[in-house]
Amino acid sequence: MFAIFKRELLSYFRNPTGYIAIALFSFISGVYFINLLTRGAINISSEITQMRSFFIIIVPIVTMGLFSEDRRRGTEVLYYTNPITLFDVVMGKFLAAMSLFFIMFINVFIHMIMTKILGGVVVTGDWGTVIVFFFLAALFVALGCFASALTDSQLISAIVCFVFILVIQLVSTFASFLETGVVTLLETFNIVNSETANAIGSTISDAINWLDPFTKTNNFRYGVFSVIPLFFCISIAVFFLYLTFRILEKKRWSQK
Amino acid sequence: MIEINNLVKHYGTKKAVNDISFTVNDGEVLGFLGPNGAGKTTTMNIMTGYLSSTSGTVIVNGHDILEEPELAKKDIGYLPEQPPLYNDMTVIEYLNFMCDLKKVRKNDRKSMLSEIMDMVKINNVSDRLIGNLSKGYKQRVGIAQALVGDPKILILDEPTVGLDPGQVIEIRKLVKSLSSSHSIVISSHILSEIQAVCDRVVILNRGKVAAIDSIDGLSRRLSGTSKFLLTFRGSDSDALAKIKMLSGIQDATVRRSEGEYHEFEILVSNSTKTDPREDIFFVMAKAGYPILEFRSLDPTLEEIFLSITG
Repeated sequence: MFAIFKRELLSYFRNPTGYIAIALFSFISGVYFINLLTRGAINISSEITQMRSFFIIIVPIVTMGLFSEDRRRGTEVLYYTNPITLFDVVMGKFLAAMSLFFIMFINVFIHMIMTKILGGVVVTGDWGTVIVFFFLAALFVALGCFASALTDSQLISAIVCFVFILVIQLVSTFASFLETGVVTLLETFNIVNSETANAIGSTISDAINWLDPFTKTNNFRYGVFSVIPLFFCISIAVFFLYLTFRILEKKRWSQK
Repeated sequence: MIEINNLVKHYGTKKAVNDISFTVNDGEVLGFLGPNGAGKTTTMNIMTGYLSSTSGTVIVNGHDILEEPELAKKDIGYLPEQPPLYNDMTVIEYLNFMCDLKKVRKNDRKSMLSEIMDMVKINNVSDRLIGNLSKGYKQRVGIAQALVGDPKILILDEPTVGLDPGQVIEIRKLVKSLSSSHSIVISSHILSEIQAVCDRVVILNRGKVAAIDSIDGLSRRLSGTSKFLLTFRGSDSDALAKIKMLSGIQDATVRRSEGEYHEFEILVSNSTKTDPREDIFFVMAKAGYPILEFRSLDPTLEEIFLSITG
C-alpha cells in the first residue's frame, strides 16, 4: 500500500495538479481570511465552512486522474500482475489524495496561528470544523475515486465527480423545495388540514436532509461533537471505496 | 515452471481462448506464435494474473495464480504489449517504485537495479523522464521493469514490435542472454523472431493450440516439399511442360504472366537426391529462356498454419 501511496502523492507534484489544487485552496481561503480580518471578526470555523463549498472544484481536480489515468496509460496492469492486492491500490490512492488535502489544509493552520498572534481566539468549535472538514473530504474523495475508476477519461471522471458533489450540496435545497411543494399541494387540494400538511412536509424534508452530510455535521462548529455524523461520513466513504475496489476487480473478468 | 490446464476465456459470446493446455519448463524459451487475434495476449494476461480465466488453471511453481496470487506473482516478470510506464517519472524513480511493488528488500535494491540497468543498457538514461525516451529505450525500461525482483519466469508480449532492426537484434540478444537463468515465454507473429530465440513453440490459432513442438520438429513437419519462384522470358507452355518432366518436380504453376515474361511457382519434393534446381537451370538454358529470377519461397506463417491445422 505504501508503494502506491508514495507514488501517487509524489505524482501530484510531478505535474501541475497538486500545485493547482494547493494554489486554489490557498488563494480562496486567503481571500476569506483577509475578508474576516478586515472586518475584525476572525472566525476560523466560518472560513473552513466556506472552504467546504469548494470541494466541488478541488475534489475533482485531485481525484480525476487517480484510476482513469492508469487505465489510459496501461499502467493498470502493474496492479494486477505484481504481488500486491487491489485493496492496497485503492487505499494507497485514497490516502494519497487525503494527504494532499492535509497539505492544502496547512494554510488554515497558518491562519489559526495568525489569529492567535493577532490576539484572536481559536475555540473548540473551530477544531470541530477541522475534524468535520477531513471527514467530509474523505467522503468526497472516496466519491471521486469511484468516479475515476468508472472511465479512462479524466474529463469524464471529473464531470461525474462534479455532478455527484453538486447533487449532495443541493440536497438541503431540494429538501426544502420538496417540502414547500408538498405542503402547497396538500393545502391547495384540501386533502388534509394545514397542520398535518406542514407535518408531512417537514417529515419529508427531514428524511431527505438526513442524507445531507453538511447539515448532519453542522453542530460541530458550535462545539457539539457527536460520533454519528462522523460514522455517517465514514460509512459512505467506505461504501464508495468498496465500489471502486469492485470495479477494479470486475475489470479482470470483463476486459475488452 | 508454469502449468496451464484447460484454459478457457470468453469475451461475451466470443471464445478468445478455447481449452488451451501446455507447460513452460524451467530454463526454456517458449515461443507463442499466432496471427493477430489468436489469443496470444489473452493467454499471457491470464498467465500473469491480469485477467481471470472463465475456466481452467494456471499453476506457477506450484502456486495457483488465483488461489495464491502473491506467491505466484512473485515469480513472474511481465512485459505487456504496451509497456506499463509512467511518463512523469525518471527511469530510476520508476524502477525504485517497481522494487516497492515487488517488495524487494532495501539492502538489495541498489545492486539489483544497477545490475538490471547494465543488462538492458539503460544506465545512460537513468535520470531522464520516461516520457522523453525513444521507443526503443521505453521498451528496454519495460524489460527492466519485468526483471525487478529477480523473477524466475519472464513473460514478454511482442517485445520487438515497433522497434527498428538494430533494436530488434539487441532485444533478441538480451532475451538470449536472459534465457540461461530464466524461463521465458515470448510472443510474436513473426516467425523468424521466434526461430531465433526459442527452444519450443506453441502455435495458437483461433484460441486453440494448433501445435506444440520444437523448431526442428516444426520444420520437419513442413519438410517433404519446398517451393521456388522462377521468373523468365520465353514461352510459358513449353517451359511448363519441360519443367514438369524433370524428376523431383511435384508441381509447377503459372503465377503471373506479362507478355513474354512469366512467373512460375514450382513445388519440389525434397526426397530426390539431385538438386532439381540445377536441372531447371540447364533446361531453361537449353531452351533459350533467360532466367531473370530464381529463388526459394520461405514458408509463411500462413503456410505453417495450413500445413499444421489442415
